[in-house]
Amino acid sequence: MQLPRIGLTGAGPAGCGRVGGTGIIAVMTQANLSPAPASGFGDPPPQGPIRHRAAAALSRRGIERLDLLLLCLEALDLNGGEAMVWMSEQLGFVSLFPNRVELWKRRCHNPLRRACRRGNLSSQESDALIRILCQMADRLYPMLRALLAGDEPADLQRQRWQLFQDRLSALVQERMNPRRSGVQQLLDPQAGRPYLEELIRSLALAAGTGGFERLQASLLDAAA
Amino acid sequence: MKQILRYDQLSCRLQVEGLPDVSIGQSAGCVGIITGWSLQWTGRPELEGERDHLLALMTVILPYARHLVSGLRRSFRDPTGAVTVEPDQDRRHRISLRSSQPGHPVLTIHLDDAELADLVRVIDALRLDPRLPLPPDLLPRPQPLRSRDLVHRLPLQRRLAAPLGGLAAVSLVAVLSWLVPPPPQPRPASTLPSSGRPAPPRS
Repeated sequence: MQLPRIGLTGAGPAGCGRVGGTGIIAVMTQANLSPAPASGFGDPPPQGPIRHRAAAALSRRGIERLDLLLLCLEALDLNGGEAMVWMSEQLGFVSLFPNRVELWKRRCHNPLRRACRRGNLSSQESDALIRILCQMADRLYPMLRALLAGDEPADLQRQRWQLFQDRLSALVQERMNPRRSGVQQLLDPQAGRPYLEELIRSLALAAGTGGFERLQASLLDAAA
Repeated sequence: MKQILRYDQLSCRLQVEGLPDVSIGQSAGCVGIITGWSLQWTGRPELEGERDHLLALMTVILPYARHLVSGLRRSFRDPTGAVTVEPDQDRRHRISLRSSQPGHPVLTIHLDDAELADLVRVIDALRLDPRLPLPPDLLPRPQPLRSRDLVHRLPLQRRLAAPLGGLAAVSLVAVLSWLVPPPPQPRPASTLPSSGRPAPPRS
């Protein structure tokens, strides 16, 4: 199938013809994958060693959102908690999070948690959590994309969202303080849906190495 | 020797063609001079253009995605006006491409969230590819949004609650303080001077 070609300049530059007659991209095979965008579960970050850059500490709202995004990944991946610990080791954050308890304690800075810890995360800790989140979102990108796809049958999409919402609700009820209005809104099937869609969209756009700076800047947003 | 870099996602493929810039010592695998690019979509027209159009697309799509991560849907347009991206109805996004040649209609592409995420990923892959060095000042580092950028994310009632509450509190305190009777003024003890000396004569 030959696609119509519409050039921004009306005609393509010289020597820029189609190579190999590739047409519609139907299948993404390992052979034609570019090295940069897709990194597997065990792949090291493509930018080489992790650099800890000085950044401002996250606000309480930022910590709350970061933990909710991690919780969404846990809802998508049944083994998400273990995967998070494993990813932390793979990315070289053993000194920051030597075990799962330390990782859990950092996440408990979320003010919506049942057992909320006082204080703020250091910039190194928050950057490490964001790195873990971006790499896990990259690994789960096909699932995120499936939730966001608009060309799928509506019935299938409804089932996917229902499954995700059920899992997330179970996790939220288990770990979050139900007296907080934010948690109540999250548990509401109707009122919480737009916020869940926003979280999934954020995860899809923050997946991979390229999404780290976007998500970091977003979590540092001023409180409106 | 011409180099072709490909970046694939499920719904789109970005292909950049160019030559290594040997004047700055680039090796054969790099692309320092972009001679053309093409963006292929499933079921949509293929886009192609020159280097400036690719940079315009990048400078528009990436800030749009950055704002979407913060839950902010606003339109972006590059300085030349060639590329515009704006939110559309029903969780969709509209990209408008204007040709630099007169007489060509504006090409509009509607993307859903998944297709936009694919596009952002291929652009990220291009941006981070060490084989294709881009000007460092082309894409500034994403910055946190300010309060005034995010203010309309809150509903109007919540935005007005604090100033109206403060105004009501000040008014209430003012009314209550006006209702409280003032303390009695101390009466002057005597009209004569306390020293007992007679007042000086009037001139």
